[in-house]
Amino acid sequence: MARIAGVNIPTNKRVLISLRYIYGIGPNNAKVICEQLAIPADRRVNQLTDEEILRLRELIDRDYRVEGDLRREVAMNIKRLMDMACYRGLRHRKGLPVRGQRTHTNARTRKGKAVAIAGKKKVTK
Amino acid sequence: MSRSVWKGPFVDGYLLNKAEAARNSTRNEIIKIWSRRSTILPQFVGLTFGVYNGRKFLPVQVSENMVGHKFGEFSPTRTFTSHSSDKKAKRG
Repeated sequence: MARIAGVNIPTNKRVLISLRYIYGIGPNNAKVICEQLAIPADRRVNQLTDEEILRLRELIDRDYRVEGDLRREVAMNIKRLMDMACYRGLRHRKGLPVRGQRTHTNARTRKGKAVAIAGKKKVTK
Repeated sequence: MSRSVWKGPFVDGYLLNKAEAARNSTRNEIIKIWSRRSTILPQFVGLTFGVYNGRKFLPVQVSENMVGHKFGEFSPTRTFTSHSSDKKAKRG
């Protein structure tokens, strides 16, 4: 078990894959990190030496904004929009799509599950 | 796609004069503007604008973190209506 960047415990997968379990590190960042530390692509986390894990931890702590910090930053950005009362902020407040998508239909991810309108009769043939 | 940097921010020219005039006059009056498309510049901070939304001039007090946005973003043009049973749809 390896702990990198706080609570994350990537498994016995390849380093390239398991780094992506950290919030804020995706395919590209994982690749860059592996290249920087010269970790071969087929190396698994449980095959890493203690020193390598230490280097990983250091690199991520130093150069990347991950987990709590990143989540907080994102939340702050949204809060900033909401406090400013600009259009994007209002959309965030109402839980509607922010980037100009249609809301006549769809937009279910933002709006949540569809709620039936009371009293609306179903059309029967 | 964002705007090219070399063009600089887009502002309707007459706003600069209006803002300048408002700065010089000591009275804190609302500057009425129709130019919703103009970028908010650092020199507008602290002034109050009345941004037209097609019906009314909505007062917008420009603050530090509004710089870089457009005036129109702070003056919604549509009236939002919802069903009374839509409570569940609201999240967060």
